[in-house]
Formats: sequence, C-alpha cells, structure tokens
Amino acid sequence: MTTTQENRWIGVSAPRREDAPLIRGRGRYIADIEPAGTVHMAILRSPYAHARINGIDTAAAEALDGVHCVLTADDLEGIGDFPTIWRLPGQKECTTPAFAPGKARYVGEPVAAVVADSRYLAEDALDLLDVDYEILDHVVDVEAALADGAPVINEDMGDNTIIEYTFPGINALGVAGDIDGAFEEADEIVSGRFKVGRYSGVALETRGHVAEWDDLRQTLTLHSGSQVASLLRTELAAALGIPETSVRILTPNIGGAFGNQWDRYPEDILVSLASMKLGRPVKWIEDRREALQATVHGREQLQEWQLAASSDGTVLGLKGRVLSDQGAHLHSVGIGPAWVTGAAAVNQYKIANYHCDVVGVATNKTPNSTFRGFGGPEAMFGIERMMDKTARRLGIDPAELRRRNMIQADEFPYFSPGGAVYDSGNYPAALEKALEAVEYDKVREEQQSLRDQGVYRGIGISSYIHVSGFGPSAILGILDYYTGGYEGSTVKIDPHGRATLYTGMIPMGQGTETTLAQVAADHLEIDIANVRVVWGDTDQTPYTGFGSAGSRSNVAAVAVIKAIEEIKAKAVRIGAGLLEADPDDVAYADGRISVKGAEEMRSLSLADVAQQAYWAHKLPEGDQPTLEATYVYDPANFTTACGTHVAVVDVDIDTGKIDWVKYVVVDDAGTIINPLLVEGQIHGALSNGLGGAMLEEFVYDEESGQLLSSTLMDYLVPSFTDLPDFEIHHLVTPSPHTEGGFKGMGEAGCFPAAGALANAVTDALSHLGVEADQTPVTPSRLWSLIDQAGG
Amino acid sequence: MAENMSVVINVNGAGRAVSVEPRKTLADAIREDLGLTGTHLGCEHGVCGACTILLDGEVVRSCLMLAVQADGAEITTIEGIADGDDLHPMQSAFSEYHGLQCGFCTPGMILAGIDVVSRNPDPSPQEIREEMGGNICRCTGYQKIVESVQAAAAVMSAEGGSA
Amino acid sequence: MKPAVFDYSAPESIAEALDLLAEHGSGAKVLAGGQSLVPMLNFRLARPAHLIDVNGVDSLSYISANGSLRIGAMTRLTAIGESGDVAGAHPVIPAAVAQIGHRAIRNRGTIGGSVAHNDPAAELPAVLMALDAEVTARSVDGERVIGMQDLIEDRLFETTLGDTELLTEIRIPAAAAGSTFGFQEFARRHGDFALAGVAAVITTDGSTITQAALGAFGGTHATRLPTAEAALVGAETGDAAFAAAGAGAAADFPATSDVHGTAEYRSHLINVLTVRALNDAAGQAGGGNG
Ligand SMILES: Cc1cc2nc3c(=O)[nH]c(=O)nc-3n(C[C@H](O)[C@H](O)[C@H](O)COP(=O)(O)OP(=O)(O)OC[C@H]3O[C@@H](n4cnc5c(N)ncnc54)[C@H](O)[C@@H]3O)c2cc1C
Ligand code: FES
Ligand code: FES
Repeated sequence: MTTTQENRWIGVSAPRREDAPLIRGRGRYIADIEPAGTVHMAILRSPYAHARINGIDTAAAEALDGVHCVLTADDLEGIGDFPTIWRLPGQKECTTPAFAPGKARYVGEPVAAVVADSRYLAEDALDLLDVDYEILDHVVDVEAALADGAPVINEDMGDNTIIEYTFPGINALGVAGDIDGAFEEADEIVSGRFKVGRYSGVALETRGHVAEWDDLRQTLTLHSGSQVASLLRTELAAALGIPETSVRILTPNIGGAFGNQWDRYPEDILVSLASMKLGRPVKWIEDRREALQATVHGREQLQEWQLAASSDGTVLGLKGRVLSDQGAHLHSVGIGPAWVTGAAAVNQYKIANYHCDVVGVATNKTPNSTFRGFGGPEAMFGIERMMDKTARRLGIDPAELRRRNMIQADEFPYFSPGGAVYDSGNYPAALEKALEAVEYDKVREEQQSLRDQGVYRGIGISSYIHVSGFGPSAILGILDYYTGGYEGSTVKIDPHGRATLYTGMIPMGQGTETTLAQVAADHLEIDIANVRVVWGDTDQTPYTGFGSAGSRSNVAAVAVIKAIEEIKAKAVRIGAGLLEADPDDVAYADGRISVKGAEEMRSLSLADVAQQAYWAHKLPEGDQPTLEATYVYDPANFTTACGTHVAVVDVDIDTGKIDWVKYVVVDDAGTIINPLLVEGQIHGALSNGLGGAMLEEFVYDEESGQLLSSTLMDYLVPSFTDLPDFEIHHLVTPSPHTEGGFKGMGEAGCFPAAGALANAVTDALSHLGVEADQTPVTPSRLWSLIDQAGG
Repeated sequence: MAENMSVVINVNGAGRAVSVEPRKTLADAIREDLGLTGTHLGCEHGVCGACTILLDGEVVRSCLMLAVQADGAEITTIEGIADGDDLHPMQSAFSEYHGLQCGFCTPGMILAGIDVVSRNPDPSPQEIREEMGGNICRCTGYQKIVESVQAAAAVMSAEGGSA
Repeated sequence: MKPAVFDYSAPESIAEALDLLAEHGSGAKVLAGGQSLVPMLNFRLARPAHLIDVNGVDSLSYISANGSLRIGAMTRLTAIGESGDVAGAHPVIPAAVAQIGHRAIRNRGTIGGSVAHNDPAAELPAVLMALDAEVTARSVDGERVIGMQDLIEDRLFETTLGDTELLTEIRIPAAAAGSTFGFQEFARRHGDFALAGVAAVITTDGSTITQAALGAFGGTHATRLPTAEAALVGAETGDAAFAAAGAGAAADFPATSDVHGTAEYRSHLINVLTVRALNDAAGQAGGGNG
C-alpha cells in the first residue's frame, strides 16, 4: 500500500481467495452439511411419461424400521405451488407443484417422498411404495404435441400451446418494419430449419438441501445451493404459508449451477415440509439419475427462418417461427429463454425488417427452463447458420457477408427490432481481429489443397451479442417478469479500517468473492487482504432482485462502487472535522483522508477516521455513527457483450468424426476485472456451448416416452480430449451505462459456439452440400447426412 | 438388514476402524464414517471421477468399491496429500493456474494429476488430456487443468518426484 | 443411488468361493473388479441377496506365458495392459486394453469380469474370440473348458456360465508365426464403450493371406466376422481384399440403434474400421482409436 495508482486490483489476475479450502478438500458443499440428528429424504419419481395416479399405498414403507415419514400429494394441504414469475401477455397460467398433481407428466416428476435414518434406508422404503398408475398416451415431440388429437398434457390449458408470442419488429421510430415488402424486394430468399438439441448445465455437483426447522424459534433454515436465495426465500415462505421473516437461506459452496439453480424446485418445498413435520434436520441430495431427469433441461427449439437478401448481400429482412419445447409445464421463468431467442435473433446485423413468432409448447418431458445463455445461444445458432447459408447462396465469403451487414461502431445506442437497445461495441473490429488471429486467408487457401489430399477442413465464423445485466427493473416490469433487476451491496468499515462487503451474489465457481473484493479494494484504495466478502446468508446479505447468474457480477460490482462512494464521502466529512479543514479541501486518496496539497502533514488513515466514526464523539452535523453504506443499484440499461468466434475443424467423412484444428475467440466484455478469471469463464462457457454442439443431448424415446439419456454413459459431457485449446483475444469497449464499464460475460462463451462448430462442419463438407442444422452434430447424424449426400 | 462389519483402513497414514453395512460404498464410508468430505460424489456410477482416491497407491473410483473391500488397505484422499501446511505442488499449481472454478471436481482432478505425473514425469498436454480423460469438469473447459498439471509436473520433477 | 441390502462374503480360496456359490446359487453374484457390477448395484438394477467378493483369492490373479497364454480371471486390466508376456504373445490384447475406460477403471476391472459381464460393446470378449481363447469354469461339481464362442453364443450381459460356476482362467493359444494384428474402434469420447470396433489378426505367406480371424464388438453381441474372414483367406493383401472384408464385416455385424448412433451407421463403421484394422495389420502397425 505504498504507491498511489488507479486500479491496483481491477484488471489484475488476482489469485482466488476461494481456492485455499477447495484444493485441500475442505470445501463445504451441500452434501457435506449434516447437523446433529439429520434424517434423509429420497423421492419417488414417475417412471412414466404420462400417467394418472389413482392411489399410493404407503403402509409397507411406513412400517419399515428407520422410516420417519412418507409424504404424498395428500400431505400438501395448505402448501402452495411455486409460481412462474415470467408471465408474458397471453401466456397460460402454470405453476410448479411439489408433487405431480393427480397425474405425472414427465419421467422424473416427484410422486412421493420418504424420510429415513439414512439415504440407503430411504431408498429401501421407496421400493416398498406401491403406486397405482393409469398409463396415458404421451407426446414427446413438439410438432406432434401441436397436432390435432395429441394428448393434452395440462387439461386446464385446453391444448398444448402455452403461448404464441409475436415480435413485430418495431424499429427505433416505434413502428414495425415492412417485412412483406422486404421479402418482395429480395433477390434471394434463404430458408433454414434448425433443431437445437435439448441439453443442460449438468453441474458436477447435483442439487441438494438441508432443512432445519427450529421449533423453539419457529424458524426454518434452509441450506441450499440455489443461485437466488432471496427469491427462494420469498417464494418458499409463501408456498409453506409461513412468514418470510422466519426463513433463512444459507448457501454453502456450490459445485456448479449454470443457470439451472436459478429455478425453484419441488424438492425445496418437500425437504422443508418434512423438517417442519418432524422437527429435525432433513437432508436431500439429488442423485445423478434424478439430476438428469428432474433438474431443468434447456435449449430445445425447432426454428424455421427465412431471410430476404439482395444480391449484393444486404440482409433486407428476417422472419422466423420458433417452437420451444417447454416440457410438461412452465418452470420458474416460463418461456423466458425462447422469448430471448426472439429478441436476440437479429444479432449484430442491421436488419430493418424483422418478424418472429415464438410458440411455447408442452410435451411430456422435463421442464425446459434456465440454463447458461438463456435463449441467446439458440438465437445465435439460428442467425449464424442463416448468414452462412445466405453467403453460400449468394457466392459471397461468409466473413464478407457479415462485414456488409454489421452494425457499425458509431451506430450505438442501437435500437434493435428485437426490442433491445444495444449499448456499445465494435462488431467489425472483433470480426477482423478474429479473422486475423485465425489467419483466415491462409486457412482458406490450405483448405483447397488439403481437400485434394482427402482432408476435409472447414472454417466456421460465428458472431454474437449477449444482452446481459438484466436490466432496469422497469423494463422487467414491461416484460411481465415478476422480479427486480437490481443488486444491493452493503459495505462496512470496521474501527480498524478494514472493509466487509455484503453481497446478495452467490458464488458458483466463477470467483465472485475475489472479483468483488478487487472492486472494493480499488475503490477504497486499500489492500485486498483487508476486504472481507460476506455472501450466502439471507439474514445478513442484501436482497437481490434478480439473483446470481454468470453475468451478474457487473451489476453487483456497481452496487459495491456506489456504496463505497458514500463511505468515502462520509469519511471525508468526518476527516475534515478532525483535520479542522473545510470538507471541500479534503480528499480521499490512497486509503487516506488528507487536506489537499498537505498530504504529508495533514492526513488521516481510513482506520483513524473509522475509529472516530465508531466512537462518535465528534461527528459532523447530520452524520450518524459508524462507517457503513448500503446501495441498491438498478441498472440504467442492459449491457451487450459481443464478439466473434472462429472454429476450424477437420471432418472424417468415413466416420463423421470431427477433429479440432483451432478455436479462436475475440470477446468484448467491457472493462475486465480479473483477466485470468475471465478466461476461465470463457473456457467454461465454451465447454457448455461445444458440449451441446457435439455431445450432450437428452434423448426421449418416442414410443415409450422414456428419457434415454439418464446416466452419464448416455448423456455425454465433454471430457479432456473433446475440447480444443482456445485462443482468446479481447477487445475492450467499456459499457457507457455502467459505472466501471463492466459488462456481463460469464455466459458469453456459449453463445456463438454451436454456430461456429456447425458452420465449420458445413464448410468442410461444402463439396457435398451437407448442412449441419441439428445439434448436437453427432458422428452418426453427420455420417448419415454425408451418406445421403453421396459422400 | 445385513449385519454391520468392522473394517480397518489406513487412511492418509493413520489406521481407522469403522463399522459399516456391507452395502455401504467406500465413498460413503470415507465421507460419513471417516468424516473426509473432500471426496465428492458426482455420479455414483464410475463416470465422473469426483470420488477418485488412491488405493494402495493406485487411482480408483471410491464409488465403485464397497467399504468392506478396503479392509486392510491404505487409502489416500485429497485431505492426505499436503504435508501439514505445505501444499502438494499439484495443489498449488491448480490454484496458481486457475485449474479450478467451483472446486467440485478438484479433489479427484488433483489425485488423478498426481497419478499421471507419478507415471510420466514430463507429460505433454495431449498425454495429460488422454490420461485424465476419466475425470469430468463442467466448469473449466480443461485447458487450465492441463496447464496446472504441466506446471506441477515441472515442480515435482525439480523436487525429485514428490508424490 | 445406493445399493439394496445384501450379505457379503470374502473367500480367500477358490474352493471356498465355489462352496459359497453352491450354497447361494442364483441369489449370489461374484464381485470381481466391481466396475460394472457396483454401478448396477448403485442403480439397484442388480439386487443379489449375496455378494461373493473374490478379490481376496490371490490364486486367481496371474499371467503365465508358457506355450499358451494363461491369465487368471482376477488379473486386473492394468496388469494385463502392462505385461510384457501378454504383449509378446498377443500384442492385440494390450492394444485393446488401452481403449477400455480409464486408468482408474482398469486398475480395478478384471479380465474375468469383463468376459463374464459380456457387455456387447466391451473389447475383450471380441478380441478373445478372435484369438480362439477358451475359459475355465469351475464349480463344486468340477471344471469345464469352454470356447469363447460357446461361452457367449449370441448373448449380451450374460454368458453360458452356470449360476454356481466361477470363471477362473482365460487361456489363449499361441499366435501363428508371423501373424500381425490391427485393432480399431470408434467411441464418441476417449475411453467410452465403442459404437463399433474390430480386432483383426492375419497371417500371410508372403502376400497371400493364409489365416484371418476377426472379432467385432459394439453390436448386439460380440461376434466373429466369418464372411469377412472368408473374403480374406486365400486373397492377396491389399485394397480389394480389404474392401471385400469390410463389406463382409458389415453383413456379419449385428448392428443396433441407440442414443449414440443408428444401426446403419454402425454397420458402416464396422466396414470402415475393418478396412483400417486390416491396413494396420498389413502394415504391421498397431491400431488406435478411430
Ligand atoms: C466409466 C466406465 C467406462 C468403462 N469403459 C469400458 C470400455 O470401454 N470397455 C470395456 O470393455 N469395459 C468398460 N468398462 C467396464 C469395465 O471394463 C469392467 O471392469 C468390466 O466390464 C467388468 O469387470 P469387473 O472385474 O469390474 O467385473 P465386475 O463388475 O465385478 O463383475 C461384472 C459381472 O461379471 C461377473 N463376474 C465377474 N467375475 C466373475 C468370475 N470370475 N466368474 C463368474 N462371474 C464373474 C459378476 O458377477 C458380474 O455379474 C467401463 C466401466 C466404467 C465404470
Ligand atoms: S462419483 Fe465415482 S466416478 Fe462419479
Ligand atoms: S471446477 Fe467445477 S467441475 Fe471442475
């Protein structure tokens, strides 16, 4: 702490304070928590895709030694469901119940629960439950679900259409574009039909809770890996019918969440209810089979796009229809991800005329809800495949076609016809940088000579925007999204001048604790070792409107900065009094409060001032004792991270195997707090994106409605040899909207990944005319396309 | 219910006796009966490697063994590889090279990394990727784990093959 | 995902193990490396009343290369993969073992378990079939020697072993002088069970193929590929014979569809892999993961 310089910590790859316990095996994850007297819950789940439950005989299970209670739907009297909090106009009403409501609607829906002395015993008891199922016809395909005569999954909805939502393509002047005119005027109309596969976060740690009902205090403490403790607390209290003030959520280490932990789940209620009934701690740890069946799935969409272009490559219009396979019922965020797909599909391009219909469809599958990327990756896949198809049709290089249509750096803020306002960025610069890094011209040249040798090399470009920092609460209100977009932060300086920062953010592995400490240390201008970050306890930490997501630290960081500004102002006022100077002549610098121009002589440390603030013997008029501030920051606007990725692959046309040659990333996420951690986030998001592009898929059997991918032998996540070394470059266009210029970036890597891969594969096989329009691009699928193309 | 059996295991250098049902997996016994919760469960069917331990010096999946099978064996878990306060070079490297995010795979990764380097003191990135392919990480995309293991290998051979 | 209740015994001799098998019959299961059985216990897909853990029977773990190659049923895959005797006698075996799962799996998994479990996508049953291996099965009633074909027939996840029989040894006749091999498999990820794979062992007399033995896995069951073998024996090594063998392999292969690939794809794969394996064999080079 000897030199004065701006940003000693922001922009530095500070080592993670999270690591020390984790590398020693001393992390505390949910399964590691076991208060004295804990009993264990196991859940019986529907083995059928669609079946009426006529009765459950629990007698044998209840009679088993060591069983404490059995819960079924009969025990839910007075217990509410979890609401769907994003309720778009026209969306049919839908909730998440604790148990299947009279009938099971997907394989894995909870039917009953048992609490016993051990998990082993609880599973023994599950074997003894006798459920009278009446098997009903099921449907696991969106188009079949919309067909006449399809089994209706939620009778109160009338049919399987949950919502039809239209993006009319309103431009900056507030009027809809002329989509029909654009298509009439077009020289070429290019169509694409894309199946975006169903996959999800599949965190290595499964979900879990430990609920502790305290009869003495009449309070419930829930240890939980939820990403949104505040919302969970509010909704759980409502569902259980107890005051929210009696519920405390404690968050341990989380072994990955990837959006899936943003939702509220039946088990949140069940474990709490069991603890309240038994008056003792109840623990439920999801096993892997349950995790694959019952933690929300993501992505699955059937997209149809048409793009109108003039022969010079100008994109005149884009229209689409997106069928979102929502699974059996809407989960916490409704059709939110599919809505985002519609909002983001115009991507980085100046497409004046846009129209998109988004249809939410119910099927007998696990609910499709929050997952890293939240509809954005699906949108990017569609538009980036369309750009490549258009380029090929027009005989224009795919890089050139993008260049000709990109929004230029001087056109921000840009009002997109998808409804979002893009704040900033330099799309062409990112594209050029990516092309340069990958040596585009050279790879293109080599491509031909390699092909002559039987090596099929392809280059896939994929540009993206990532609208993050889910925004001003007022906009969420306009979207009927019943939550706020703000984050709060409390900063307290102790009498010794050390800082404690209370955040509602929940670290899920992305290093939130370290990055927020970096921001606080810089703005207080003190050593990072003197900043403690408190998280994960709703009794201590501020309410967060939106909760944690991979791309929320930017919003939280601003709340920290704003709270620190208030603290510094107060420290200056107190310090001025002590230094007997006019507050206007006193400044806060380098962690000291000094009279300007006399820093050597008339200066106090933060600790000196803090001590005085606590003694409070001599405070300026109007100032309260102690030195702390709380700031709740509601973002002024969304921020848009952006970039371009380029994938280079070789395809073995005999086996359909894809081999990596190169993967280049150019990302622009505004000001970077910690470059090492940012790289880690990009790598991780890419692994999610490429996993879904190549390997990961929840496959349902049409005939039986069974989930076929219910082990990690069938649901394949990328391993070491499936991913390339990523080459990462940054552009920095600070967000004009946020203090510090941060943009959310924790999810960005997964946005362009599938498009880059599919474009590269399609490019490699251009001589055959093979188009990779379905994800994951598995070897079997790819080979059959090659085979059909006569390759 | 089957009778409990008593089992003596040498865990991280100390003999420990536990009494377990025959059906209890070694992973559960390590976590619940020995209180060593650094060994994680990610799948319980042998695919993820989160439960990796060393059994008589060799990497194994503790979810695919019964506790009773470890009677008389020596096991090393993540808690047993540091020398008091001195971290094992593999542990330091994971932190330094950002080889972990959520940390859930990390104990298994570190033990698998130690095993790879014990058999191949100077592994190439490709060798690390192939040898460690049985351990899944959902957070890092692996690149920084590969860097961590390589860096640790260099330190370990400089130190004369500490394991 | 916790096992149901079972009783457990850990015999220390073959005789003890056989007595236990005789006593508990179909209610018992032998526990070898546990790399297939324990997942099934955890999923409660297997619910034996009694588990007979033979890991303490030291006399089941050995490798002996005296004329024929004899491997005790409890020999771990890692030991087999690293054995100079095995590599010297039948280098196709370590090539195949290297593709089985991952190090941690091979450290526990055994050759006897792999054969007895008879996963249709497992490498070893098919490789051992191609090598004309025999297994020894013992029970309290005596001992029988069973050829791999008769052990597996067209079964999957079971064999013709009786409930009270213990597989004790795998015996592989010495390779023909000058034989070479190719081993190819295609898996979606490194270390996964293969979608299709083939082991080819051929002997040539100059350029004419005198013997050919091909074993395939990844179909509905492990199998020899007789049409492919017939297309090779008597033919000159080279593209024409290998292509005919590939087509023959596709005709012989009992392909099936699942989440990882269609039957058509697998039939095509076995054709491609057979040609590649034969090229490897002809080139005296080892195979690899396609
Ligand atoms: C993640 C993972 C990946 C894998 N990948 C592969 C792969 O790519 N290729 C592959 O081939 N295998 C793979 N395996 C399986 C592994 O090779 C198994 O070890 C093997 O199939 C069974 O051997 P085991 O010794 O573990 O047998 P166990 O699991 O102990 O037993 C399997 C079955 O055989 C019976 N049995 C075992 N020994 C005898 C005996 N001596 N006499 C009579 N019956 C007996 C048992 O009762 C049981 O029914 C994988 C396993 C895992 C967990
Ligand atoms: S928990 Fe043992 S391998 Fe996944
Ligand atoms: S760090 Fe989270 S799974 Fe590896």
